[in-house]
Amino acid sequence: MVKKKKSFPETAAITEPIAVEETTSEKDVRANLEEIKTYDGVIGYILRNSTSAAIDLKDPTKIIDYAILSSSALEASEKLCELFDLGEAKNINVEGKDIKVLSLVIGENRISVFTEKNADCEKILRKLHSL
Amino acid sequence: MDNEVYAFALKNTLNEIRNVCPDITHTFIFTEDGEILAADENTHEKTIIQVIDTFDGILEKAEKIGGVEGITLEGSKGRVNVSCIKDIYFATVTSRKADINYVNTVTQVLIPTVLKLLEKIYPTPLKNTPPPPKIEPEKTEKPPIEPEPLLSELPVNQLIVENLGGLLVPSDTVRIDNEILSQWEKLYEDRKIEEVEIETFNGKKTRCKVKPIKDSKYEGKGVIQMPEKVQLALEIKKGELVRAKPVIQ
Repeated sequence: MVKKKKSFPETAAITEPIAVEETTSEKDVRANLEEIKTYDGVIGYILRNSTSAAIDLKDPTKIIDYAILSSSALEASEKLCELFDLGEAKNINVEGKDIKVLSLVIGENRISVFTEKNADCEKILRKLHSL
Repeated sequence: MDNEVYAFALKNTLNEIRNVCPDITHTFIFTEDGEILAADENTHEKTIIQVIDTFDGILEKAEKIGGVEGITLEGSKGRVNVSCIKDIYFATVTSRKADINYVNTVTQVLIPTVLKLLEKIYPTPLKNTPPPPKIEPEKTEKPPIEPEPLLSELPVNQLIVENLGGLLVPSDTVRIDNEILSQWEKLYEDRKIEEVEIETFNGKKTRCKVKPIKDSKYEGKGVIQMPEKVQLALEIKKGELVRAKPVIQ
């Protein structure tokens, strides 16, 4: 099942969110994510929509892997909800041995928050849904 | 005890779990290699294959987060829970009204216990393990082959797509930070980088001419400016991520 992995030597990557045209809700989501980033155990986030992408991770060498993991998780959540008739996907939490990834869609914003194992995902979800 | 007996024992356990917790709609067990070990009688093999296929992308990249211990998906009408026990993945699908604590108590106690029990009774591995590699006699030592210079390992940059338009803009040329181009040129003994290979996360690739970004507002932002024609060819649009590497002639 595990496919062959391509090995690309990765160098410089984006560490700063880029400034592009934003919708109001994207601004709100990003503001919330900036606050979430200050929570205990939060490593960073990826925010994507049809017009822009913002990535803020402490370790920029992992951006590409985390971006793929994030999109795989969101894609899986949609497919599984359809497959098992689970309605609308609210969120998907992938728990690794070292890190947790919480992914969800708010409006047209696809969000993934990367945290350490001890981080409080409920608190993050509450903050993101407070918009 | 062979795998069939294991599967029979596990299938019965899964059916019993469903009897105890009627809010569990599906439950099945599979390995990291995509082998289905057991499923309750309500879950079709085709469905499980689709699930395994769906998880493939996650499991493939999960080593970057230390490997998967568990996945929880919450939907408006129910949830999916996958937990990993010694490289074996145990999945349960529950309805919205299910008492998650009760379901977890039953599944997270019962399944590991049954797996342990089966392993104790007959310590046959659950997974179809490949035969051990043959040990070949040591060959006479040859002089070590010098590795190729680093030129074969091309640097790859991850960049965000930005539109590039205008009347005089050639449709086969992308624009990248001058700093990145300079870094590439330094790596290749000041050879001029005139072409770049772009790859999307969906595996689409193309080669384009490359020039430095002119617009200062995009400098240092990790952006690749791309004409519409190239975006169409790669089936991507503004805001998406691509990999770019220099083409060395």
